[in-house]
Amino acid sequence: MARWRPYLLGTLGLAAITFPFLWLKLAPDFNNNTVTIAWAPWHGLEFFGDLSPVFVITFLIWLGVQANRHFGWDKVLTQNRAWQQAGHTWTHYWAWGTMPLVLSGSLFLGASSLSLLTNVGIYMLLALGLNITVGMTGLLVLGYAGFYGFGAYFFALAQQNLPYFPWWMACPLAFALGGGAGYLLGLPCLRLRGDYLAIVTLGFAEAFRELMRNLSVDETDTTPHGPFVRELIQIFNTSGDKGIILNDSSTFGKVAGLNSGQVAYIVMALVLFLAVFLVQRLFHSPVGRAWIAIRENEVAAASVGVPVVQMKLLAFSLSAAIAAVAGVIYGAKDGFISPSICEFQQSIMILAMVILGGLGNSYGALLGAALLYLVPEYLKFLPLMIQDNALLRTIVPSFMRDSFQHLADYRLLLFGAVMVLMMLYRPQGLLGSRRRKTEMLHP
Amino acid sequence: MSYGSTLTEIVIDGISRGAVYALVALGYTMVYGVLGMINFAHGEVFMIGMFACVYAIGLFSTIWGSHALLNLGLGIIVAMIFSAAYGYANERIAYRRLRKAHVLAPLTSAIGISTFLQYFIFLTVSKEKVNFPRYYSDLLTTNRLHFGPVEITYLQVAIFGLTLLIMGGLFFLINFTRLGIALRATAQDQLMASLVGIPVNKIIAFTFILGSALAAVAGVMVAMYNNVLVFDAGYRVGLKAFTAAILGGIGNVPGAVLGAMILGLTEALTTLQFGSQWNDVTTFGVLMLVLLLRPRGLLGERVADKV
Repeated sequence: MARWRPYLLGTLGLAAITFPFLWLKLAPDFNNNTVTIAWAPWHGLEFFGDLSPVFVITFLIWLGVQANRHFGWDKVLTQNRAWQQAGHTWTHYWAWGTMPLVLSGSLFLGASSLSLLTNVGIYMLLALGLNITVGMTGLLVLGYAGFYGFGAYFFALAQQNLPYFPWWMACPLAFALGGGAGYLLGLPCLRLRGDYLAIVTLGFAEAFRELMRNLSVDETDTTPHGPFVRELIQIFNTSGDKGIILNDSSTFGKVAGLNSGQVAYIVMALVLFLAVFLVQRLFHSPVGRAWIAIRENEVAAASVGVPVVQMKLLAFSLSAAIAAVAGVIYGAKDGFISPSICEFQQSIMILAMVILGGLGNSYGALLGAALLYLVPEYLKFLPLMIQDNALLRTIVPSFMRDSFQHLADYRLLLFGAVMVLMMLYRPQGLLGSRRRKTEMLHP
Repeated sequence: MSYGSTLTEIVIDGISRGAVYALVALGYTMVYGVLGMINFAHGEVFMIGMFACVYAIGLFSTIWGSHALLNLGLGIIVAMIFSAAYGYANERIAYRRLRKAHVLAPLTSAIGISTFLQYFIFLTVSKEKVNFPRYYSDLLTTNRLHFGPVEITYLQVAIFGLTLLIMGGLFFLINFTRLGIALRATAQDQLMASLVGIPVNKIIAFTFILGSALAAVAGVMVAMYNNVLVFDAGYRVGLKAFTAAILGGIGNVPGAVLGAMILGLTEALTTLQFGSQWNDVTTFGVLMLVLLLRPRGLLGERVADKV
């Protein structure tokens, strides 16, 4: 009993402080410009009803964890030599096995699946890039979507001003320019405490988005712009919130009998393989060791001769460069770019992907990206699937069927909760080692 | 109206914005000073204060009708209690267990809490903007004081006066009371503080509660000033306030107020010169400039990573 008392008190406290928001409803009184309040029990019930699948899934995961603790399944897997051998071979030769499989997907998958998978690829690339700074070097970057938007807007503006500017020319240029932008941004704040970088990058993403929203020549626009701003706008016309529609010559086109969707998929896959290869090689090189040393203890790393600031700058510019390339691919695939791609939610989502997969683990970042992008997408189809299947229709209660539909709205709420819970109970992420957990909790 | 009086009004507007940022920035800077950690969810606590005030006003006007001053005063008190409770809950749930962890861990969980609270309000209260009941805010915004050609609303006077009062109180609390000594001791070395009998957990919880209550006051003021409440208001103001705290030198109470004033004036002047849509861009420019020229902030001490 005594063990449960703090939990009981905590739950009661939480119920008390969330009470008005969940169980009461504001009713504005427009005649007297005041406000009244109404009792709305259905409101709170709806909230918990929509979250019911999450509670069920969480309970199942908890059961699995408890069972694992009792039967020791993970020990069987990790201590078995055959498995270790298989894992070893897999990490060495995985690319040669999976590359043909992934590339051949472009031939037999439908257009919508290809588009979905290309989007997953873009997020995988972003998560991989962010993992370099957040996971490997231990620098928090909160405005990663700013660099993503930087690449996309570089591409869009260049193709607007130049007559012929295809995506394959934009990719390497975006890599260089994105890296340069990251270098310039990191230069003033990487000499300081790590948390400054978080805020500066966040501010950068916000400022960049506002800049892209405001640089537009609009005839109906009556807001006063200064003369300098007017001249800038002549070159950098981003059309504000309406966004830029890219020329056909710049986006992915038909090549050798493949349609544009297939080309996008293949390019995405090749870029991703290249990026994973490069990042893994870097991670296992002296540079990677230096990053880990900085993450674990900056002062100690400096004392044994690691050039701390240069290494941090390298990690930060490399991840910025990767994000810029992802932005170009996004633009070339969709043919449309608007300021909403560098929103804060985007940065948070990429960060959640890296944390879920496992900080500092490239494959973890890929897994996290796939999970967090695909799960909400498939949740939308789940109600239809339940409707068609007689067995599922009897098992799943009717109110839960609707809640699967609403669950997409709850995505960011759940991301937030997942980030907190992961930090408290599994800071090493899904694919993390026990060593990483100790490093995170007891530095 | 001449340019001069417009400029004066802009400056007054800037100072009152700055005062609000200062109230929020104090919360950031106090937590940073004691724990060395950015409380990223502080902006959301501010937002909770806004909504709690409107709920409280709604509740009281449903119970005993619209008594303007009484309801508003009680609303502010309820908002402070709610924000303080949320601040304490954040500390208890998301930060206390990670106090000795890697820097990244509490920061990440703070961002998680911040996202969670934003979307909690988004899903339960309103996806759209909610209007602050004008009946209550008009009381302070339509009545003006006149100084020659310049007019100041009661609300602006209240905001500025409150900020000065709270800053003075905080300065006194930190420098001249037993609690302040305990606070400074905890900030210097938690283990040593606990050895000489300071209840470190309680002191840290108190820091969160105090900062959150200040944020609630700022929240109600902003809600009355702009007349709207949005679920992401805390994120925007929080970002500005944190920038202000860095400008002044984080962990430094007068620095936070100075930084907030500079930020508010920058915003007001940007609005005059370029239009309000450029606010974020100039704010960021000022932040980068200060970080380049004076990395530890205007009034800050030497900032270095602890070993």
